[in-house]
Amino acid sequence: MEETNEKLVKLTIDGIETEARKGETILQVAERLHIDIPTLCHYRFVKPYGACRICSVEVTIRGKSRFVPACSYQVRDGIEVQTRSEEVIQHRKMLLELMMARHSQVEVVRKLAHEYGVDTTRFEEMPSEGCILCGLCVRVCSEVVGANALTFVKRGTDRYVSTPFEGKADTCIACGACAYVCPTNYIKVEDIRDRKYVFSELSLGPTTPIHIPFAAAIPGIPVIDSHACIHMQTGECGICSKVCEPDAINYEMQDTFEEVDVGSIILATGYKTFDPARAEQYGYGRFDNVITSLEFEHLSHASGPTGGAFVKADGSEPKSVAILHCIGSRDKNYNEYCSRVCCMYSLKIAHLIREKVPDADIYELYIDMRCPGSGYEEFYNRLLEEGVHFIRGKGVEVSQMPTLATTTPAASNSKLYVKCEDTLLGMPRELPVDMVILSVGLEPAEDAEEVARIFKINAKGDGFFMERHPKLAPVDTLSDGIFIAGCAQGPKDIPDSVAQGAAAAAAAVSLIDAGEVALEPITSVVDEDVCTGCKTCLVVCPYGAITRDEEKGVAVINDALCKACGCCVAACPSGAISQRGFDDTQIEAELAALLMS
Amino acid sequence: MPKLGTIEQVKRFQEKCKTALDKFPLVVSLCHGTACCAIGAKELAAAFEEALNGEKSVKFIKSGCHGFCEVGPLVVVRPLDVVYQRVKPSDVPEIVERSLKKGEVIDRLLYRPRGNGKVYAKEEEIPFYAKQSKVVLALNSRIDPYSIDDYMAYGGYGALAKALLEMTPDEVLQEIVDARLRGRGGGGFDAGRKWKGCRSAPGERRHIICNADEGDPGAFMDESILEGNPHSVIEGMVIGAWAIGGTDGFIYVRNEYPRALRAFSNALKQAREYGFLGENILSSGMDFDIKVSRGGGAFVCGESSALFRSLEGDVGEPRAKYIHSVERGYHDEPTNLNNVETWANVPHIINRGAKWFRSLGTEDSPGTKVFSLVGKVENTGLIEVPMGITLKEVIFEIGGGIKEGRDFKAVQTGGPSGGMLSQSQLDLPVDFDVLTEAGSMMGSGGMIVMDEGTCVVDVAKYFTDFLIEESCGKCLPCREGLMHMSRILHRITEGQGEPKDMESLKRLGDAVAVASLCGLGTSAPNPVLSSIKYFEDEYLAHINERRCPGRVCRALISYHIDPDTCTGCGTCEKVCPVEAIQPVAGEEREEGLLRIIDLAVCDKCDACREVCPEEAILVESPAIALEHYRENVTEKR
Repeated sequence: MEETNEKLVKLTIDGIETEARKGETILQVAERLHIDIPTLCHYRFVKPYGACRICSVEVTIRGKSRFVPACSYQVRDGIEVQTRSEEVIQHRKMLLELMMARHSQVEVVRKLAHEYGVDTTRFEEMPSEGCILCGLCVRVCSEVVGANALTFVKRGTDRYVSTPFEGKADTCIACGACAYVCPTNYIKVEDIRDRKYVFSELSLGPTTPIHIPFAAAIPGIPVIDSHACIHMQTGECGICSKVCEPDAINYEMQDTFEEVDVGSIILATGYKTFDPARAEQYGYGRFDNVITSLEFEHLSHASGPTGGAFVKADGSEPKSVAILHCIGSRDKNYNEYCSRVCCMYSLKIAHLIREKVPDADIYELYIDMRCPGSGYEEFYNRLLEEGVHFIRGKGVEVSQMPTLATTTPAASNSKLYVKCEDTLLGMPRELPVDMVILSVGLEPAEDAEEVARIFKINAKGDGFFMERHPKLAPVDTLSDGIFIAGCAQGPKDIPDSVAQGAAAAAAAVSLIDAGEVALEPITSVVDEDVCTGCKTCLVVCPYGAITRDEEKGVAVINDALCKACGCCVAACPSGAISQRGFDDTQIEAELAALLMS
Repeated sequence: MPKLGTIEQVKRFQEKCKTALDKFPLVVSLCHGTACCAIGAKELAAAFEEALNGEKSVKFIKSGCHGFCEVGPLVVVRPLDVVYQRVKPSDVPEIVERSLKKGEVIDRLLYRPRGNGKVYAKEEEIPFYAKQSKVVLALNSRIDPYSIDDYMAYGGYGALAKALLEMTPDEVLQEIVDARLRGRGGGGFDAGRKWKGCRSAPGERRHIICNADEGDPGAFMDESILEGNPHSVIEGMVIGAWAIGGTDGFIYVRNEYPRALRAFSNALKQAREYGFLGENILSSGMDFDIKVSRGGGAFVCGESSALFRSLEGDVGEPRAKYIHSVERGYHDEPTNLNNVETWANVPHIINRGAKWFRSLGTEDSPGTKVFSLVGKVENTGLIEVPMGITLKEVIFEIGGGIKEGRDFKAVQTGGPSGGMLSQSQLDLPVDFDVLTEAGSMMGSGGMIVMDEGTCVVDVAKYFTDFLIEESCGKCLPCREGLMHMSRILHRITEGQGEPKDMESLKRLGDAVAVASLCGLGTSAPNPVLSSIKYFEDEYLAHINERRCPGRVCRALISYHIDPDTCTGCGTCEKVCPVEAIQPVAGEEREEGLLRIIDLAVCDKCDACREVCPEEAILVESPAIALEHYRENVTEKR
């Protein structure tokens, strides 16, 4: 409908005759013709503003010429536009000179001025702090994000950008759009707590809401994080759908459920790390420079928020680091078991820190070093040689102030103090460090309990899935055809996980390869004439082998799943279930035979 | 209050009001405008009220500004038709006794212009008034601004009745188009065209706005209209709403006008009571009301698009000019904005017709224009003159020439963004186009006259600084360009000017004028550019000779004592705060020793010159003063 109503106007730009739609600006038409008009306050996704005036061009209409801003002047029929006439250039030079008097230190201004041969200014220089007052941040925040968390304050030469009433903007969703559009990099996003986050991961630097989930993800297609997407949070923005030429953005797409028929299942649902906030004494969440081992991994990774630089929260390099072992492991208060992997990854962390900050003091606070495995003990010895300080004694507390009278407070007040008992020296110690890394233990995955319920398998006391036999059947479960592998079964490192995974796969394959399942000899059977369909057996069957035939109104037993435990037989109130070759008369006969002999 | 619904009813009611007014055989009209109040009209009013003591035969009016502020407080006694000037509360009993009771004229209170020895009793005889032709100010001295009945007695709201009951909106619109009424707010845009544009703009609501954010220093035209005759503005706006299809009205008054606000708010209340505002006005079926919005003190909010933002509750900042306010103004809906004086002209045009209106003024700028004539003229005040009158007539006939017989130097028209015109431009007729062509502008009607003792560079600096202060800072040329212009001007007035500054000023001025976003920016360089155009020699004197011809710029003047005039009284020595004045030993004069100013110590505060009874203290350029100093003192020593 728009196309039929469209009115075309004829105009010339720099002598080129062209047509444009009514309502188009000179800048839009010029862009189409690849005529470059410089701008400083223009951004295609916000309304024309006309503040920098750098885009001024000369328009001649009915013989009269005047200067208009190309970004906001809508084309009219018969106009002649000069974008690079002598007068235009002279005017731009003058404006750039004015810019240079304020912002000669700003890269974009200096570059643009240089293009016009303006490298100095005749006017008194009064350098700004870097904001050129283009208003892009303010406009993006209100027009695109819809947050209105930025505004101009004061007027005239006193004008500057700030938050409403110069306070912490309640409406800021920390999306970083302002910093993104800022042409001078004057706006920086800092991690300030207590505000609505679009970026939930902001504590380790913003990511974009649209991203490829992780490096080498399959398929390598970007996804929109609905919690981070401004459009999904506020209904504004929608820039991605405007720029995506193949029109591939779909805000409506939802998670879908797929049903697959399978013969065997391997559960490898993994683990979660211990939440150190539960152990308040370590200061996690209270002190900026107390991080977990996993956060260290994120931080030190080349694709991480700092590009792999190992830095403190204020951006400076830590000169001393304490790595605290057994956080949440081997501790009666939390988990009694050993998480098995922490000793080795703590050594790796120490090694990485040594590599990144060669002169750093690194402390490993351990209960005992557990390094079984191929090459593990050798790696420990190597760390000893690298000058990492190993202190035998668990770290017990992290504080900002020394608590032991013997500790000399450090000169810097940004130090953290780690208290421990050095069992080799037989004395308490307190280490002043810049950073503390908590080697958090492994715990059953968040939803382990629910998974166990769905698959009718058992969990051990610590919450990890139970194998059929700890020594003889480590990947099987009591449910035939369901196998477990990796940390779902218990903490283990990568080689062990791979080995167990391979074993589980082999077990599953052998089942598939056989093509048939050997049944238990004495499975239960329902006498349909007697069964009342009361569903008592459905509840008691630990293997999920009984269903109810709704048509007949009786219980049906799946022979392949029945493990002949007899629970249903005992529970059936009407005595409708019996076991094959194991009914009362048969047992009695067996007993009689036994007693007679 | 009767519900007025037909022309006859309105006319009958007007008659009734007139009869009520005519019942008073005597009228005392005291100018209760801002200027007169500042010099004692309030006390005077109290004195009159006490002296008259509820006297039934006298109608005592506390009216709006009569115009002749120079000689206020003013009192007009009718039917004697005599104007008393500089009246003090002590004169009141005599006025009551002699003028009211006996009908005598009190000679000593009459206006006597300096110099010619003549005495003027009647308003129409006084030269200040004689050359004026009052339309929008005509009722100012006759009605009580707080009385709608007074306004109606003089035919008020007759135009409204005529428009709403006898004319279609199109006919009203055509009348305004034919009258070629141009916006009195500064731009001089054709009001008829604006109204038409707004009327035909798509949209359900149309806003009618009165711009009363009069921020020009030295301007008080709109204030005086709102204070003196608020109903005329309301009437104009309602007629406008009828023609345009306006659904609601606003008046944006600057908060510094509490008196205007009070008068206007009262008028709104009365107009509502009488059914000239509100639902189904005069049974025409039109609903329309006016809300009052007070400005927050920003000059730029007088600019239409900034005014809309301010009205919406936003920061008042002009927006990109590709949007037309008649289509997308207040809340992005069709809006018609005119200033106070424009609206006040509307009832007159409807009453007397476009032809009458065009008989006033010039072909392209018909009608009259109100000016506030201030500065170094004998007669300062509020004037209303037909367009096309020359500057000379305004300044020398109405204004009575320059104060204290000094020489004329320049006149600044159009407020701070107007330009300075020199002697050679005095014969220019005052109209929108001529003034713009001359590098100044009509503006809203400020007219500041400067004498030879004014430094144009200093004045240009003052206005530029004012505009910097008021610039919103949105666009680069206005924000940065003006500031650099000001810095250069400051340097020049401080004696640090360089020849290349002239070129820089001109280039900067051009850039700001051409590239700025709104009218405030594009007109801001006017004072500088026009003063360079007409007074380049003054700039050059500052830069090249380090001399201020107006003897204003402190860095470029020196004080010295004329040894021939000095009587040695020593008054100057006593007032000098920096002890720069000392007696010269051996130089006896009538009253003591000759005094001398130590140029190295003198702070140029002007205190000595003000007190010297002999006017022996001279202000010269430093070089001349130094020469005097050497000749008369050092060598003699």
